[in-house]
Amino acid sequence: MEVLIAIAIGTLTACGIYLMLRARTFPVILGLSLLSYAVNLFIFISGRIRLDAAPIIADGPYTDPLPQALVLTAIVISFGMTAVLVIMALGAYLTAGHDRIDTEDQHAEDQP
Amino acid sequence: MSLALIAALPFLGALTPALTQRFGRGIATATVALFSAAALLLILQHVPAIMAGQTITTQINWLPTLGLNANFRLDGLALLFALLILGIGLLIQIYARFYLDTSEPYARFLTYLMLFQGAMLGIVLSDNILLLLVFWEMTSLSSFLLIGFWSHLPKARQGARMALATTGAGGLAMIAGLLMLGHVAGGYDLSTILGERAAIQASPLYVPALLLILLGAFTKSAQFPFHYWLPHAMAAPTPVSAYLHSATMVKAGLFLLARLWPVLAGTPEWFWIVTSAGLITMSFAAGVALFKDDLKAILAYSTVSHLGLITFLLGLGTKAAATAAVFHILCHATFKAALFMLAGIVDHATHTRDIRALGGLRRAMPISFALASIATLSMAGIPPLNGFLSKEMMLEEAAHTAPWVIPVLATFAALLSVAYALRFLVYTFLGQAPAYAHAPHDPGAGLWLPPAILAALVVAIGLAPMAMAGWLVDAAASATTGEAVHAHIALWHGLQPPALWMSLAAVGGALVVLGLYPALRAAWDGAHKPDAKAMFDAGMGWLTKTATALTQGLHNGSLSRGFAVGLCSFLALGLYAYLSAPTLPGTRALTQISFAPVVAFGLLMTAALAATALHRKRLLALLLTGIVGLILSASFAYLSAPDLALTQITVEVVTIALMLLALNFLPKTTPRKTAGFRKLRDGGLAVAVGTGVAALAYTLMTREAMFPPISAFHLAQSLPGAGGHNAVNTIIVDFRGYDTYGEIIVLGIAALLIFALTESLLGTRWAVQPDHAAGDEGDAHPVMLQTATRLILPMAMLVGVYLFLRGHNEPGGGFVAGLVFAIGLVLQYIASGQDWAAARRRIPYHAMIGAGVLVASATGIGSFLAGRPFLTSNFTHGHLPPLKDFELATAALFDLGVFLCVLGAVMLALDALARLAKPQEGR
Amino acid sequence: MSQLLILPVILPAALAGFIILFARNALAVQRAISGFGTLALLALAITLIQAPTQSYFLGNWPAPFGIALTLDGLSALMLLLTASLALIVLIHSIATGWDAQGRHFHALFLFQLMGLNGAFLTADAFNLFVFFEVLLIASYGLMVHGGGQARIRAGVQYVAFNLLGSTLFLFALATIYSTMGTLNMADLAQKLPLVGADDTGLIRVAAVLLMLVFAIKAALVPLQFWLPGTYANAPGPVAALFAVMTKVGAYALIRFGTLVFPGDLPALGGLLAGLLYPAALATIAVGAIGTLAAGALPRQIAFAAIGSMGTLLLAVSAFTPEAVSATLYYLIHSTLATAALFLIADLARTRRDGLTAALYMAAAIAMAGMPPLSGFVGKLLVLDALRSDPLAWTFILLASLLTMIGLARQGSDLFWKAPNTEAPAQSKAGVLLCLAALVALTLAAGPITGWLGQTAAALDAPEAYIAANRLGVAE
Repeated sequence: MEVLIAIAIGTLTACGIYLMLRARTFPVILGLSLLSYAVNLFIFISGRIRLDAAPIIADGPYTDPLPQALVLTAIVISFGMTAVLVIMALGAYLTAGHDRIDTEDQHAEDQP
Repeated sequence: MSLALIAALPFLGALTPALTQRFGRGIATATVALFSAAALLLILQHVPAIMAGQTITTQINWLPTLGLNANFRLDGLALLFALLILGIGLLIQIYARFYLDTSEPYARFLTYLMLFQGAMLGIVLSDNILLLLVFWEMTSLSSFLLIGFWSHLPKARQGARMALATTGAGGLAMIAGLLMLGHVAGGYDLSTILGERAAIQASPLYVPALLLILLGAFTKSAQFPFHYWLPHAMAAPTPVSAYLHSATMVKAGLFLLARLWPVLAGTPEWFWIVTSAGLITMSFAAGVALFKDDLKAILAYSTVSHLGLITFLLGLGTKAAATAAVFHILCHATFKAALFMLAGIVDHATHTRDIRALGGLRRAMPISFALASIATLSMAGIPPLNGFLSKEMMLEEAAHTAPWVIPVLATFAALLSVAYALRFLVYTFLGQAPAYAHAPHDPGAGLWLPPAILAALVVAIGLAPMAMAGWLVDAAASATTGEAVHAHIALWHGLQPPALWMSLAAVGGALVVLGLYPALRAAWDGAHKPDAKAMFDAGMGWLTKTATALTQGLHNGSLSRGFAVGLCSFLALGLYAYLSAPTLPGTRALTQISFAPVVAFGLLMTAALAATALHRKRLLALLLTGIVGLILSASFAYLSAPDLALTQITVEVVTIALMLLALNFLPKTTPRKTAGFRKLRDGGLAVAVGTGVAALAYTLMTREAMFPPISAFHLAQSLPGAGGHNAVNTIIVDFRGYDTYGEIIVLGIAALLIFALTESLLGTRWAVQPDHAAGDEGDAHPVMLQTATRLILPMAMLVGVYLFLRGHNEPGGGFVAGLVFAIGLVLQYIASGQDWAAARRRIPYHAMIGAGVLVASATGIGSFLAGRPFLTSNFTHGHLPPLKDFELATAALFDLGVFLCVLGAVMLALDALARLAKPQEGR
Repeated sequence: MSQLLILPVILPAALAGFIILFARNALAVQRAISGFGTLALLALAITLIQAPTQSYFLGNWPAPFGIALTLDGLSALMLLLTASLALIVLIHSIATGWDAQGRHFHALFLFQLMGLNGAFLTADAFNLFVFFEVLLIASYGLMVHGGGQARIRAGVQYVAFNLLGSTLFLFALATIYSTMGTLNMADLAQKLPLVGADDTGLIRVAAVLLMLVFAIKAALVPLQFWLPGTYANAPGPVAALFAVMTKVGAYALIRFGTLVFPGDLPALGGLLAGLLYPAALATIAVGAIGTLAAGALPRQIAFAAIGSMGTLLLAVSAFTPEAVSATLYYLIHSTLATAALFLIADLARTRRDGLTAALYMAAAIAMAGMPPLSGFVGKLLVLDALRSDPLAWTFILLASLLTMIGLARQGSDLFWKAPNTEAPAQSKAGVLLCLAALVALTLAAGPITGWLGQTAAALDAPEAYIAANRLGVAE
């Protein structure tokens, strides 16, 4: 089981990174989504794996609840961030007319 | 205190022109002059004490831990320089008042001048060498302003920058040198340092410190090969040149050499470096001066040459030579300041400074001619003027120094000096007068009086050296050498000294040189000469170009480069950290694997890989990503994390929906442009990082934590302490409720950002129009779907309330509830189109977010009433028919804040998309 | 228990919530609330800087089980610096009308302050992540305030880069929890020395990952790519406020480098210092070369800011109390100098008169580390703290030179070659206040460095910080 999950985390990470290295906003957003799946799983396993042990207080055993709480926080935050990035990417596309993510960095815009 | 006050006076004076300029230039000048004069008087008041061999000091602690203190000292050397700075400063102020045109920003000029004067005075009065550094760099900065005063002229700007770059660079080297000196001496006060000669010269840091300090002094005093900036600084208005290049700026380097003479001089390193720099500068610059045609350029190179002379004397390391150096500092300041002013007068009268266009001015400008004769002949070293005396002393010292090349070069330089001085005088004032556009005439007294005073000094010191200057030279030389000096300066020492013969040789030689001038000039003009300015400009150009190329090459605006470099460093350093230390093998038993998870994770990985491979087809890739999220939530359920499963699935639905709507606007495919090499590179990096993460995950899973995890406390306290069965939820709303508080804020900010961005987008011209319209017309929204989603909405709301209420005990909570609500609304939006959604934009989502933040904050603050910290929870149990039992915890109120923020954020995002889709209505 | 410690976080949050709920269309009210909030934060910071080291246990749960805030000299200093800078930026934004260029400036501004204050106060590693996210997302909002193509596109890069950073932060935190079973920083500081010498690999990975994440925020080379585009395209006052954003990274590096991963921790050896040192040198070089290469003024300032981070982190890498003390002085200086330059660049966009030129010169002098302003004092302190390191001296001094040349050329081109007095004059109040702060920092260098020396000593021996967390003791 552990091997399987580790491979899954690795695959998600690799796919996410590959997409993040693309030059358009949309694949980068998808890549960040995949990467956040990977990291959520990674945080989750920092409490180790335990089947049939949901941390709902009854008569045990329980898996470590703290990483789950951390993942929840991470999910919510990354949801907010993704929403922001999506709208910003949209704004960039509408104003620039293309969705290339690389900029001509040296020309700082001189506008209010 | 008095010394600190003296040092502060010019700076205070610098503030006045802004206030006094409305009263006219006269008043403004008089005001600043008052400050300089006051400083001068306060200095003079200390003269008797200094004559008695005392050193006046003032100490004010500034940064004692570092040793940087506002400690001042006034001894003979400082006295000499202070008199020059303030005395000539006063003359310059008068001169400038009449020199500068009324259209010039005169107040600014005076401010710069006083800033410079203050910095100069600060250098010579500093006891603390770090304080000296402060003033030192300030002279570079204020002279930058003065040289660039005519800022509309490219030459002025370039000259200013060149001076700043050169002297500033020297100053930075000097920082290092003086810090080393202080470390070795055990303190930064001269009073400490000057007593540590033996320790300093024995230290291994002596040579580096010496080199760095000399770099500072030589750049400032324009010693070869750092002389190039000085002639270009002539772009400054003439009063500035007269001040900076006679008495002050360039003398700062000499001052420093003299100041540190007792501890640095006397070693072979000092002797060879300083004398050779001085000697080379002296002869080389005198030669160049001979072939310059601009009056100020001749004076500039002459200044460089005389600075070389003084450097040479200081380098010799003997008491007598140091005395001669001190004396020449005084003499040079008097005649050179006068000459610069006279060059300015000629410039004003004839509108040219080109010596080839001048001549015959003796009749039209008799006063100027008389003054110029005195100053020029002094510069040439003709008796009975002061320049003769100091030159004799120099030649005398040179004559006694081996090897023979030294006296020869010294004589040669003296010879050239006579030649260019005579040329300066003769070509300007004697000979035939060319046809001047305007008849030249002597200026008003305001312009000629300052040089006249200096010329009078030149004569007086020449005739009665001991009475006029002996006391000052003695005091200054004593302070320089650290021993009592009683100089004997006299016009006539008899026929014995070799110096007299060398002088005569110089004069004779000069006449020969002038006789041969046309031939020499032709040879000079024909010769290929390295142009210092061109070299400097080329160097700077190269530096800037390289810097630009490097920077733009590195920061080319490519995000993926930043990503790639960052990921590589994480991977490499993480690997290094892991491999460079031991790790025990994992001992935790592996979990049994069964069929279902293999299939699930297999599907998950397949979907992720497919999404990556097919990412150009954006819709497909997005759906595949959604599938990954759905399988992940199922896996969470399997892995004992029902809360995560629930949250993941709802988040997934909303995220994918939002992205689908956004994709509506964006291009549907990604163009194929990437080179194969780049794909390989990215793929390699991705696989490497993925492998690293997988290995780390596996390693972590096969071991227990080294210390018992803190979550044991959470499990134990969930029910008794936080009143909830669901430990994950009690952590979120209670044990770590503060995290959740931050999380709400994140969502709230996200919503605000989206709203603000939409607003600004609606006010901006777009480069493209969204091509969504097609999907919006006609039967795009089937009635069935519309009806279905309108039924779904109330159901979603009901489920949301249910999930909200049970969250404390079972999987659920405010976040999930908010999302379920949102899903209902999103579906509505998709089914009915933005018109429908826009029409129902009655609910102020803003208010929801504000309320969410306030409710959560207020819930947390509520515990203040009980004297408990923020977010301390309180709970009781309640009953509501369909639910078995739920907590009425303050945490639930807090959860309400979460709910409001989530819903508000999603709806604002949706609203933003709706308004962007129909921009004309959204505006 | 005093509730003072939580106020720097919840006060701006509540005020921002209030603005959204009741004053979202009333700019005047927003300005008043923002002004009140900023002044209140300043007053709070001044109160807290005199307070002894203490903790605040959220939800009344004992550390390390709940989340604790801990205030020490360093936190208090950062709070004070943030509040001072905020006041300067707010004055400039209001006086120049920047806040009216888009929606929600004041709410985002207050949230930004909340995020910063939260990050400086927390004693919990995961909570630090949460507040990093708060301050980041607020900064995204401020970054694209006013909109415009280039700004939004630069904003996309900024967001994307930081999202990657946040993800890596989570990887690091999970590794730490997985190995150490705790998240409280004081608890980590107590437990890490007990780790067996034969099993340090994972700890080292976690430490390196975490410090790299902070290095992203601190714009340490090679993780600096996000900075120039972001700062150069952000609205002037926002760029000025961002001067403290890189300092969040520096703060976290100092906090973790002294408390959790100190140099004498056997598990790490000199690992972190050994990595930080060359990176800091490279940062100095990239910053100075970029400043010389120039281009537009805001971009140049951005590179100068990178360079000053290099100097700062170079001093950090020594991790001696003396060097940390010098670092803290330089940190205050570099924040204010960068902010002053960005504000001046904002003024100079439209009008380049004599006074603006004079202000530019003063700020440039400070930035380049020339006397008589605090940059010189800071540079001397750093040089003195690194006195046995000629390589560091060379880099710092050469960088000073390049920065000086670059800024001098920019200034002479901008204000001498192309002066412009056509446009109406804008308020210089914010800039003047910022420069006044720099002057005060210079004049009061003695007492300030004295205080910083104590703070650095307390960081070097963090017993008080750990004790304040009362680990495992319930109220």
